Amino acid sequence: MNCREIADFLNLYVEGELPTAERTIFEAHLAECPNCRAYIASYRTTVSVVQQSAARDDCSPPVPEDLVRAILASVTTPAT
Amino acid sequence: MDMVPPNNRPLLPDEEILPGLQAGEQAAFEAFVRRFCDPMYYIAQRILRNEEDTRDVMQDAFLRAFRAIHQFEGRSQLSTWLRRIVINAALKKLKANQRHSSQSIDELLPQFGADEHHTREFTLLESTVEELVNRREIRLLVHRRIQELPEIYRMVVLLRDIEGLSTEETAEILETSVMVIKTRLHRARQALRTLLEPDLKGEAL
Repeated sequence: MNCREIADFLNLYVEGELPTAERTIFEAHLAECPNCRAYIASYRTTVSVVQQSAARDDCSPPVPEDLVRAILASVTTPAT
Repeated sequence: MDMVPPNNRPLLPDEEILPGLQAGEQAAFEAFVRRFCDPMYYIAQRILRNEEDTRDVMQDAFLRAFRAIHQFEGRSQLSTWLRRIVINAALKKLKANQRHSSQSIDELLPQFGADEHHTREFTLLESTVEELVNRREIRLLVHRRIQELPEIYRMVVLLRDIEGLSTEETAEILETSVMVIKTRLHRARQALRTLLEPDLKGEAL
């Protein structure tokens, strides 16, 4: 397995979806390739930072009050 | 996904809002809107990146929800049900407004030489994920870089990594296969790694 293949199948490896035989070959390459190890580490960090940043959910201003009022006004006559 | 209403009334659980909603009560609808408008606005805004479209979709989605509340069977939380309505409405709006052809992501993917090795060396970050995420500048940069992705990849990241939908749910919403979603997500994550690398390293210095 070469570095390009490692990058191509990285998502399956990280998600634990590589079949055993392929996983063994994958890890054998990693054992000998510090650059691929560093790439995988940065990939994992990126995914974690993205997901955990989303969980904080504080990068947007609140809904403008006029929009809230417009939404409420749109249903002043309840649906029957 | 709870929010504090502006007048600091305590949040009502789903089972207290739902009967009033299904009876068409205005007060229940107001509680429903005030409870969920911020997180839903955020979802629509991230998908649409346009204030006018976001406002349109918010009104459309909440009205649809109010009219369809009798179909809500309680198999999920109200927030989950509403989120699906908002996402579908936003994607429909996006599709209607789309005027660009598919952008290439290739230049953001890792590059390889003729020997199939990476053309550059990668180094480990000094900061932990927690240290990075605790910085608001980093969280803002994450959102900015996601917006820089080509559209089809941006959507997959938003739905999978930001909204936490499953691969199957994402495939259904985007009307494609699980395999396509997996491939797009991987390429999107690789592209984000490229885009975020200088940002994350800058914080580590």
